[in-house]
Amino acid sequence: MLPEIAFYSEILPIIFYLIFLKRNRGEGLWVIFIYCVLSPLTELLYFLMKSQAVFACFNIVQFTLFSIFCYFSLKEKKLKYIPVIGALIFYAVALSKFNDTGFDSLSQSLASVLSLPYCILLLYEQVKDPSIMFVYNNKKFWLIIAFFLYFSATLFLYIYYSTLSLEQRSNYWSINNFFEIVKNILFCVAFIMKKNVQRSDLTDIDMLDPDI
Amino acid sequence: MIILEVTNPASSVSLVLFFGTIGMLALTIGLIVFIIFHQRKVIRYQLKLQRMEQDQQKLLLNASIRLQEEERQRIAADLHDDAGPLLATARLYLNENLVNLDKSTQLQSIYNAKQIIDDTIQLIRNISHSLMPPTLKNFGLESAVNDLFQKISGSGSMNASSRFHDYKERLQAENELIIFRVIQELVNNILKHSNASFIHLTQNTSGNKFFIRLHHDGRGITQNDFNKLNKSNVGLGLKNIQSRLKVLHGKIFFEKDMSQTYYKVTIELVKEEDNKLAEQE
Repeated sequence: MLPEIAFYSEILPIIFYLIFLKRNRGEGLWVIFIYCVLSPLTELLYFLMKSQAVFACFNIVQFTLFSIFCYFSLKEKKLKYIPVIGALIFYAVALSKFNDTGFDSLSQSLASVLSLPYCILLLYEQVKDPSIMFVYNNKKFWLIIAFFLYFSATLFLYIYYSTLSLEQRSNYWSINNFFEIVKNILFCVAFIMKKNVQRSDLTDIDMLDPDI
Repeated sequence: MIILEVTNPASSVSLVLFFGTIGMLALTIGLIVFIIFHQRKVIRYQLKLQRMEQDQQKLLLNASIRLQEEERQRIAADLHDDAGPLLATARLYLNENLVNLDKSTQLQSIYNAKQIIDDTIQLIRNISHSLMPPTLKNFGLESAVNDLFQKISGSGSMNASSRFHDYKERLQAENELIIFRVIQELVNNILKHSNASFIHLTQNTSGNKFFIRLHHDGRGITQNDFNKLNKSNVGLGLKNIQSRLKVLHGKIFFEKDMSQTYYKVTIELVKEEDNKLAEQE
Protein backbone atom coordinates (compact mmCIF):
# COMPACT_ATOMS: atom_id res chain seq x y z
CA MET A 1 0.00 0.00 0.00
CA LEU A 2 2.72 2.47 1.06
CA PRO A 3 4.74 2.14 -2.18
CA GLU A 4 1.61 2.88 -4.21
CA ILE A 5 0.79 5.96 -2.11
CA ALA A 6 4.41 7.08 -2.41
CA PHE A 7 4.22 6.72 -6.18
CA TYR A 8 0.96 8.65 -6.53
CA SER A 9 2.17 11.32 -4.11
CA GLU A 10 4.93 12.06 -6.62
CA ILE A 11 2.35 13.30 -9.10
CA LEU A 12 0.80 15.81 -6.65
CA PRO A 13 3.64 18.39 -6.71
CA ILE A 14 3.58 18.37 -10.53
CA ILE A 15 -0.14 19.11 -10.55
CA PHE A 16 0.14 21.88 -7.95
CA TYR A 17 3.12 23.43 -9.65
CA LEU A 18 1.18 23.66 -12.90
CA ILE A 19 -2.01 24.92 -11.23
CA PHE A 20 -0.14 27.67 -9.35
CA LEU A 21 2.30 28.34 -12.14
CA LYS A 22 2.04 32.12 -11.68
CA ARG A 23 3.01 31.90 -8.01
CA ASN A 24 5.97 29.69 -8.77
CA ARG A 25 7.47 31.71 -11.58
CA GLY A 26 10.74 33.55 -11.07
CA GLU A 27 11.59 31.69 -7.87
CA GLY A 28 14.02 29.21 -9.41
CA LEU A 29 11.57 26.41 -8.63
CA TRP A 30 11.74 25.00 -12.12
CA VAL A 31 14.66 22.80 -10.96
CA ILE A 32 12.45 21.20 -8.35
CA PHE A 33 9.67 20.83 -10.91
CA ILE A 34 12.02 18.90 -13.23
CA TYR A 35 13.01 16.77 -10.24
CA CYS A 36 9.32 16.09 -9.50
CA VAL A 37 8.67 15.11 -13.15
CA LEU A 38 11.70 12.82 -13.32
CA SER A 39 10.88 11.04 -10.07
CA PRO A 40 7.72 9.14 -11.20
CA LEU A 41 9.20 8.72 -14.69
CA THR A 42 12.14 6.86 -13.16
CA GLU A 43 9.81 4.49 -11.36
CA LEU A 44 7.88 3.87 -14.56
CA LEU A 45 11.10 3.27 -16.43
CA TYR A 46 12.29 0.86 -13.75
CA PHE A 47 8.96 -0.94 -13.97
CA LEU A 48 9.51 -1.35 -17.74
CA MET A 49 13.25 -2.07 -17.80
CA LYS A 50 13.78 -3.79 -14.42
CA SER A 51 17.32 -2.45 -14.29
CA GLN A 52 19.05 -0.93 -11.24
CA ALA A 53 20.90 1.36 -13.66
CA VAL A 54 17.71 3.46 -13.88
CA PHE A 55 17.91 4.25 -10.15
CA ALA A 56 21.65 4.86 -10.34
CA CYS A 57 21.05 7.35 -13.16
CA PHE A 58 18.21 8.97 -11.27
CA ASN A 59 20.42 9.31 -8.21
CA ILE A 60 22.97 11.25 -10.28
CA VAL A 61 20.27 13.43 -11.86
CA GLN A 62 18.57 13.98 -8.49
CA PHE A 63 21.80 15.12 -6.87
CA THR A 64 22.66 17.30 -9.87
CA LEU A 65 19.27 19.03 -9.72
CA PHE A 66 19.53 19.56 -5.98
CA SER A 67 23.04 21.00 -6.45
CA ILE A 68 21.70 23.37 -9.15
CA PHE A 69 18.90 24.40 -6.78
CA CYS A 70 21.45 25.08 -4.06
CA TYR A 71 23.71 26.95 -6.46
CA PHE A 72 20.90 29.30 -7.51
CA SER A 73 19.49 29.66 -4.02
CA LEU A 74 22.74 30.56 -2.27
CA LYS A 75 23.36 34.27 -2.39
CA GLU A 76 26.89 34.50 -1.05
CA LYS A 77 29.38 34.00 -3.86
CA LYS A 78 31.89 32.07 -1.78
CA LEU A 79 29.24 29.60 -0.66
CA LYS A 80 28.24 28.91 -4.25
CA TYR A 81 31.47 26.90 -4.68
CA ILE A 82 30.29 24.34 -2.13
CA PRO A 83 27.58 22.66 -4.29
CA VAL A 84 29.95 22.71 -7.27
CA ILE A 85 32.74 20.99 -5.34
CA GLY A 86 30.23 18.60 -3.75
CA ALA A 87 28.84 17.67 -7.16
CA LEU A 88 32.33 16.97 -8.54
CA ILE A 89 33.13 14.66 -5.60
CA PHE A 90 29.79 12.94 -6.03
CA TYR A 91 30.26 12.41 -9.79
CA ALA A 92 33.69 10.92 -9.23
CA VAL A 93 32.32 8.38 -6.75
CA ALA A 94 28.99 7.69 -8.49
CA LEU A 95 30.53 7.14 -11.94
CA SER A 96 33.31 4.93 -10.62
CA LYS A 97 30.79 2.77 -8.75
CA PHE A 98 28.16 2.84 -11.50
CA ASN A 99 26.63 -0.62 -12.07
CA ASP A 100 23.31 -2.08 -13.08
CA THR A 101 23.52 -5.18 -10.91
CA GLY A 102 22.47 -3.87 -7.52
CA PHE A 103 21.65 -0.92 -5.33
CA ASP A 104 24.59 1.51 -5.17
CA SER A 105 24.64 2.12 -1.43
CA LEU A 106 27.79 4.22 -1.45
CA SER A 107 26.74 6.87 -3.96
CA GLN A 108 23.22 7.02 -2.50
CA SER A 109 24.55 7.61 1.00
CA LEU A 110 27.13 10.05 -0.33
CA ALA A 111 24.31 12.02 -1.98
CA SER A 112 22.51 12.12 1.39
CA VAL A 113 25.64 13.04 3.32
CA LEU A 114 26.41 15.89 0.90
CA SER A 115 22.83 17.08 0.74
CA LEU A 116 22.49 17.54 4.51
CA PRO A 117 25.13 20.30 4.78
CA TYR A 118 23.60 21.91 1.66
CA CYS A 119 20.28 22.08 3.50
CA ILE A 120 21.88 23.53 6.64
CA LEU A 121 23.70 26.07 4.48
CA LEU A 122 20.49 27.08 2.71
CA LEU A 123 18.62 27.39 6.01
CA TYR A 124 21.45 29.46 7.44
CA GLU A 125 21.26 31.83 4.47
CA GLN A 126 17.49 32.07 4.80
CA VAL A 127 17.69 33.00 8.47
CA LYS A 128 20.44 35.51 7.71
CA ASP A 129 18.60 37.11 4.79
CA PRO A 130 17.10 40.39 6.05
CA SER A 131 14.58 40.50 3.18
CA ILE A 132 12.83 37.35 4.48
CA MET A 133 10.27 38.26 7.10
CA PHE A 134 9.46 34.80 8.42
CA VAL A 135 11.30 31.81 7.00
CA TYR A 136 8.17 29.70 6.99
CA ASN A 137 6.49 32.17 4.63
CA ASN A 138 9.13 31.37 2.08
CA LYS A 139 8.63 28.74 -0.60
CA LYS A 140 12.25 27.71 -0.60
CA PHE A 141 12.17 27.09 3.14
CA TRP A 142 9.60 24.30 2.67
CA LEU A 143 11.53 22.82 -0.23
CA ILE A 144 14.71 22.75 1.84
CA ILE A 145 12.84 21.22 4.78
CA ALA A 146 11.45 18.56 2.44
CA PHE A 147 14.92 17.58 1.27
CA PHE A 148 16.38 17.91 4.76
CA LEU A 149 13.84 15.53 6.29
CA TYR A 150 14.03 13.09 3.39
CA PHE A 151 17.83 12.88 3.30
CA SER A 152 18.26 12.71 7.07
CA ALA A 153 15.59 10.02 7.40
CA THR A 154 17.00 7.86 4.61
CA LEU A 155 20.70 8.39 5.37
CA PHE A 156 21.09 5.34 7.63
CA LEU A 157 18.86 3.26 5.38
CA TYR A 158 21.15 3.92 2.39
CA ILE A 159 24.32 3.36 4.43
CA TYR A 160 23.20 -0.05 5.71
CA TYR A 161 21.09 -1.09 2.74
CA SER A 162 23.72 -3.42 1.25
CA THR A 163 24.18 -5.19 4.61
CA LEU A 164 20.45 -5.90 5.06
CA SER A 165 18.75 -9.17 4.23
CA LEU A 166 16.02 -9.17 1.55
CA GLU A 167 13.28 -9.26 4.17
CA GLN A 168 14.84 -6.41 6.12
CA ARG A 169 15.23 -4.42 2.91
CA SER A 170 11.54 -4.67 2.09
CA ASN A 171 10.67 -3.78 5.70
CA TYR A 172 12.97 -0.82 5.96
CA TRP A 173 12.19 0.49 2.49
CA SER A 174 8.95 1.76 3.99
CA ILE A 175 11.05 4.51 5.67
CA ASN A 176 12.01 5.68 2.19
CA ASN A 177 8.40 5.49 1.01
CA PHE A 178 7.05 7.31 4.05
CA PHE A 179 9.50 10.18 3.78
CA GLU A 180 9.00 10.27 0.02
CA ILE A 181 5.34 11.05 0.80
CA VAL A 182 6.32 13.66 3.42
CA LYS A 183 8.71 15.23 0.91
CA ASN A 184 6.04 15.42 -1.77
CA ILE A 185 3.52 16.95 0.65
CA LEU A 186 6.05 19.60 1.61
CA PHE A 187 6.73 20.24 -2.08
CA CYS A 188 2.99 20.77 -2.54
CA VAL A 189 2.96 23.23 0.39
CA ALA A 190 5.79 25.16 -1.23
CA PHE A 191 4.10 25.23 -4.63
CA ILE A 192 0.70 26.23 -3.24
CA MET A 193 1.79 29.01 -0.89
CA LYS A 194 1.79 32.63 -1.99
CA LYS A 195 4.94 34.46 -2.93
CA ASN A 196 7.39 35.46 -0.18
CA VAL A 197 6.46 38.18 2.29
CA GLN A 198 9.24 40.74 2.39
CA ARG A 199 10.57 42.18 5.64
CA SER A 200 9.78 45.67 4.38
CA ASP A 201 6.04 44.92 4.62
CA LEU A 202 6.05 45.86 8.27
CA THR A 203 2.35 46.53 8.37
CA ASP A 204 1.71 42.84 7.80
CA ILE A 205 3.68 41.71 10.84
CA ASP A 206 0.81 41.78 13.28
CA MET A 207 -1.35 39.86 10.85
CA LEU A 208 1.26 37.21 10.15
CA ASP A 209 2.44 36.53 13.65
CA PRO A 210 -0.35 35.88 16.11
CA ASP A 211 1.98 36.19 19.11
CA ILE A 212 2.90 39.78 18.38
CA MET B 1 30.26 0.39 9.72
CA ILE B 2 32.74 -2.41 8.98
CA ILE B 3 33.29 -2.98 12.70
CA LEU B 4 29.54 -3.23 13.23
CA GLU B 5 29.20 -5.73 10.44
CA VAL B 6 32.02 -7.90 11.77
CA THR B 7 31.12 -7.90 15.45
CA ASN B 8 27.32 -7.72 15.33
CA PRO B 9 24.74 -9.85 13.65
CA ALA B 10 22.03 -8.49 11.31
CA SER B 11 19.79 -7.54 14.25
CA SER B 12 22.38 -5.08 15.48
CA VAL B 13 22.47 -3.48 12.05
CA SER B 14 18.71 -3.09 12.21
CA LEU B 15 19.02 -1.53 15.62
CA VAL B 16 21.65 0.94 14.43
CA LEU B 17 19.56 1.73 11.38
CA PHE B 18 16.44 2.27 13.46
CA PHE B 19 18.03 4.45 16.13
CA GLY B 20 20.23 6.22 13.59
CA THR B 21 17.19 7.21 11.56
CA ILE B 22 15.29 8.29 14.67
CA GLY B 23 18.31 10.27 15.84
CA MET B 24 18.76 11.97 12.48
CA LEU B 25 15.08 12.87 12.36
CA ALA B 26 15.16 14.21 15.91
CA LEU B 27 18.19 16.32 15.04
CA THR B 28 16.60 17.62 11.85
CA ILE B 29 13.29 18.47 13.44
CA GLY B 30 15.08 20.03 16.40
CA LEU B 31 17.14 22.18 14.08
CA ILE B 32 14.08 23.30 12.12
CA VAL B 33 12.16 24.16 15.29
CA PHE B 34 15.19 25.99 16.66
CA ILE B 35 15.52 28.03 13.44
CA ILE B 36 11.84 28.99 13.46
CA PHE B 37 11.78 29.98 17.13
CA HIS B 38 15.09 31.76 16.96
CA GLN B 39 13.93 33.79 13.99
CA ARG B 40 10.69 34.71 15.73
CA LYS B 41 12.69 35.80 18.76
CA VAL B 42 14.99 37.94 16.61
CA ILE B 43 12.03 39.50 14.81
CA ARG B 44 10.28 40.24 18.10
CA TYR B 45 13.44 41.89 19.40
CA GLN B 46 13.75 43.96 16.21
CA LEU B 47 10.13 45.01 16.45
CA LYS B 48 10.65 46.04 20.05
CA LEU B 49 13.62 48.14 18.99
CA GLN B 50 11.60 49.62 16.16
CA ARG B 51 8.75 50.52 18.53
CA MET B 52 11.19 52.13 20.95
CA GLU B 53 12.63 54.15 18.09
CA GLN B 54 9.13 55.16 17.00
CA ASP B 55 8.32 56.28 20.54
CA GLN B 56 11.51 58.27 20.65
CA GLN B 57 10.66 59.86 17.31
CA LYS B 58 7.20 60.70 18.60
CA LEU B 59 8.75 62.41 21.62
CA LEU B 60 11.07 64.37 19.37
CA LEU B 61 8.24 65.35 17.07
CA ASN B 62 6.10 66.47 20.00
CA ALA B 63 9.00 68.46 21.36
CA SER B 64 9.60 70.13 18.02
CA ILE B 65 5.87 70.94 17.64
CA ARG B 66 5.76 72.38 21.16
CA LEU B 67 8.86 74.41 20.50
CA GLN B 68 7.38 75.71 17.26
CA GLU B 69 4.22 76.69 19.13
CA GLU B 70 6.26 78.42 21.81
CA GLU B 71 8.18 80.31 19.14
CA ARG B 72 4.89 81.36 17.52
CA GLN B 73 3.55 82.46 20.88
CA ARG B 74 6.71 84.48 21.48
CA ILE B 75 6.42 86.20 18.09
CA ALA B 76 2.71 86.78 18.67
CA ALA B 77 3.46 88.26 22.09
CA ASP B 78 6.21 90.49 20.66
CA LEU B 79 3.88 91.74 17.94
CA HIS B 80 0.89 92.10 20.22
CA ASP B 81 2.61 93.60 23.28
CA ASP B 82 5.26 95.73 21.60
CA ALA B 83 4.50 96.44 17.95
CA GLY B 84 0.72 96.70 18.50
CA PRO B 85 0.77 99.43 21.19
CA LEU B 86 3.54 101.29 19.36
CA LEU B 87 1.56 101.44 16.15
CA ALA B 88 -1.62 102.34 18.09
CA THR B 89 0.23 105.22 19.73
CA ALA B 90 1.54 106.37 16.35
CA ARG B 91 -2.01 106.25 15.06
CA LEU B 92 -3.11 108.38 18.01
CA TYR B 93 -0.59 111.05 17.07
CA LEU B 94 -1.77 110.99 13.49
CA ASN B 95 -5.50 110.82 14.14
CA GLU B 96 -8.06 113.12 12.63
CA ASN B 97 -7.83 115.64 15.48
CA LEU B 98 -4.37 116.50 14.22
CA VAL B 99 -5.89 118.89 11.66
CA ASN B 100 -7.43 120.93 14.45
CA LEU B 101 -4.12 121.49 16.30
CA ASP B 102 -1.71 124.37 15.72
CA LYS B 103 1.30 123.95 13.45
CA SER B 104 3.98 123.48 16.14
CA THR B 105 1.91 120.86 18.01
CA GLN B 106 1.26 119.12 14.67
CA LEU B 107 5.00 119.00 13.94
CA GLN B 108 5.71 117.65 17.43
CA SER B 109 3.03 114.96 16.94
CA ILE B 110 4.41 113.98 13.54
CA TYR B 111 7.92 113.81 15.01
CA ASN B 112 6.67 111.61 17.86
CA ALA B 113 4.83 109.37 15.42
CA LYS B 114 7.99 109.06 13.31
CA GLN B 115 9.98 108.10 16.42
CA ILE B 116 7.43 105.44 17.29
CA ILE B 117 7.38 104.08 13.73
CA ASP B 118 11.20 103.89 13.80
CA ASP B 119 11.01 101.95 17.06
CA THR B 120 8.44 99.64 15.52
CA ILE B 121 10.63 99.07 12.48
CA GLN B 122 13.55 98.21 14.79
CA LEU B 123 11.33 95.87 16.78
CA ILE B 124 10.12 94.08 13.68
CA ARG B 125 13.71 93.88 12.41
CA ASN B 126 14.73 92.28 15.72
CA ILE B 127 11.93 89.75 15.46
CA SER B 128 12.88 89.00 11.87
CA HIS B 129 16.58 88.66 12.81
CA SER B 130 15.74 86.27 15.59
CA LEU B 131 13.85 84.15 13.06
CA MET B 132 16.64 84.19 10.47
CA PRO B 133 19.89 85.97 11.34
CA PRO B 134 21.00 88.03 8.30
CA THR B 135 24.66 87.37 9.03
CA LEU B 136 24.04 83.66 8.70
CA LYS B 137 22.23 84.09 5.43
CA ASN B 138 24.74 86.50 3.90
CA PHE B 139 28.10 85.51 5.39
CA GLY B 140 27.67 81.97 6.65
CA LEU B 141 27.90 79.97 9.84
CA GLU B 142 31.33 81.18 10.91
CA SER B 143 30.30 84.87 10.83
CA ALA B 144 26.94 84.17 12.46
CA VAL B 145 28.54 82.24 15.32
CA ASN B 146 31.23 84.91 15.75
CA ASP B 147 28.49 87.53 15.79
CA LEU B 148 26.50 85.62 18.40
CA PHE B 149 29.56 85.11 20.60
CA GLN B 150 30.58 88.76 20.28
CA LYS B 151 27.12 89.79 21.47
CA ILE B 152 27.41 87.45 24.48
CA SER B 153 30.89 88.76 25.28
CA GLY B 154 29.65 92.31 24.77
CA SER B 155 27.03 91.85 27.45
CA GLY B 156 29.89 91.39 29.92
CA SER B 157 28.31 88.45 31.70
CA MET B 158 30.47 85.82 30.06
CA ASN B 159 33.59 85.47 27.99
CA ALA B 160 32.63 83.82 24.69
CA SER B 161 34.97 83.01 21.83
CA SER B 162 34.84 80.89 18.71
CA ARG B 163 37.38 79.59 16.24
CA PHE B 164 36.70 77.88 12.92
CA HIS B 165 39.78 75.94 11.86
CA ASP B 166 38.60 74.45 8.59
CA TYR B 167 35.58 76.16 7.13
CA LYS B 168 36.63 77.35 3.68
CA GLU B 169 33.62 75.97 1.90
CA ARG B 170 30.22 76.86 3.28
CA LEU B 171 27.70 74.14 3.96
CA GLN B 172 24.25 74.28 2.36
CA ALA B 173 22.21 77.21 3.71
CA GLU B 174 19.57 75.02 5.36
CA ASN B 175 22.25 72.86 7.03
CA GLU B 176 24.05 75.96 8.28
CA LEU B 177 20.77 77.16 9.78
CA ILE B 178 20.21 73.83 11.55
CA ILE B 179 23.74 73.84 12.98
CA PHE B 180 23.38 77.48 14.01
CA ARG B 181 20.10 76.71 15.80
CA VAL B 182 21.72 73.82 17.63
CA ILE B 183 24.61 76.04 18.71
CA GLN B 184 22.14 78.74 19.74
CA GLU B 185 20.16 76.24 21.83
CA LEU B 186 23.31 74.91 23.49
CA VAL B 187 24.59 78.41 24.22
CA ASN B 188 21.18 79.40 25.63
CA ASN B 189 21.26 76.37 27.91
CA ILE B 190 24.75 77.25 29.07
CA LEU B 191 23.69 80.85 29.71
CA LYS B 192 20.55 79.77 31.55
CA HIS B 193 21.70 76.84 33.63
CA SER B 194 25.47 76.53 33.86
CA ASN B 195 26.77 79.64 35.61
CA ALA B 196 29.82 79.38 33.38
CA SER B 197 32.39 82.16 33.11
CA PHE B 198 33.43 81.29 29.57
CA ILE B 199 32.29 79.42 26.46
CA HIS B 200 34.70 78.46 23.75
CA LEU B 201 33.63 76.99 20.41
CA THR B 202 35.96 75.28 17.95
CA GLN B 203 35.23 73.85 14.53
CA ASN B 204 37.31 71.09 12.91
CA THR B 205 37.08 68.51 10.17
CA SER B 206 38.56 65.06 10.12
CA GLY B 207 38.13 62.90 7.01
CA ASN B 208 34.48 63.06 6.09
CA LYS B 209 33.48 64.23 9.57
CA PHE B 210 32.68 67.78 10.62
CA PHE B 211 33.10 68.60 14.32
CA ILE B 212 31.92 71.47 16.46
CA ARG B 213 33.06 71.49 20.09
CA LEU B 214 31.80 73.70 22.86
CA HIS B 215 33.70 74.03 26.16
CA HIS B 216 32.45 75.79 29.23
CA ASP B 217 33.44 75.83 32.89
CA GLY B 218 29.99 75.84 34.44
CA ARG B 219 27.60 73.10 35.44
CA GLY B 220 26.88 70.82 32.54
CA ILE B 221 25.35 67.49 31.64
CA THR B 222 26.89 64.18 30.59
CA GLN B 223 25.75 61.78 27.91
CA ASN B 224 23.78 59.74 30.47
CA ASP B 225 21.88 62.84 31.59
CA PHE B 226 21.22 63.73 27.97
CA ASN B 227 19.86 60.25 27.19
CA LYS B 228 17.65 60.32 30.29
CA LEU B 229 16.30 63.78 29.48
CA ASN B 230 15.67 62.72 25.92
CA LYS B 231 13.51 59.83 27.03
CA SER B 232 11.56 61.89 29.55
CA ASN B 233 8.97 64.58 28.94
CA VAL B 234 11.26 67.38 30.12
CA GLY B 235 14.25 68.80 28.26
CA LEU B 236 12.40 70.30 25.33
CA GLY B 237 15.45 72.14 24.04
CA LEU B 238 17.59 69.01 24.08
CA LYS B 239 14.94 67.09 22.17
CA ASN B 240 14.86 69.88 19.68
CA ILE B 241 18.63 69.59 19.27
CA GLN B 242 18.29 65.86 18.78
CA SER B 243 15.55 66.18 16.16
CA ARG B 244 17.50 68.87 14.28
CA LEU B 245 20.63 66.73 14.24
CA LYS B 246 18.65 63.76 13.04
CA VAL B 247 17.93 65.69 9.85
CA LEU B 248 21.68 66.00 9.25
CA HIS B 249 22.42 62.41 10.40
CA GLY B 250 24.51 64.07 13.08
CA LYS B 251 25.44 63.01 16.60
CA ILE B 252 25.94 64.91 19.82
CA PHE B 253 28.09 63.94 22.79
CA PHE B 254 28.03 65.52 26.21
CA GLU B 255 30.99 64.79 28.43
CA LYS B 256 33.14 66.12 31.23
CA ASP B 257 36.65 67.10 30.25
CA MET B 258 39.54 64.81 31.23
CA SER B 259 40.59 67.41 33.79
CA GLN B 260 37.05 67.27 35.26
CA THR B 261 36.95 71.07 35.14
CA TYR B 262 35.18 71.69 31.87
CA TYR B 263 32.12 70.32 30.20
CA LYS B 264 32.43 69.49 26.55
CA VAL B 265 29.72 69.17 23.91
CA THR B 266 30.73 67.66 20.58
CA ILE B 267 28.55 67.82 17.51
CA GLU B 268 29.61 65.31 14.90
CA LEU B 269 28.26 65.60 11.38
CA VAL B 270 28.92 63.74 8.17
CA LYS B 271 29.93 65.98 5.26
CA GLU B 272 27.25 66.78 2.74
CA GLU B 273 28.04 64.31 -0.08
CA ASP B 274 28.07 61.46 2.42
CA ASN B 275 24.92 62.84 3.99
CA LYS B 276 23.13 62.69 0.64
CA LEU B 277 24.28 59.11 0.20
CA ALA B 278 22.96 58.22 3.65
CA GLU B 279 19.61 59.79 2.80
CA GLN B 280 19.39 57.83 -0.45
CA GLU B 281 20.08 54.60 1.45
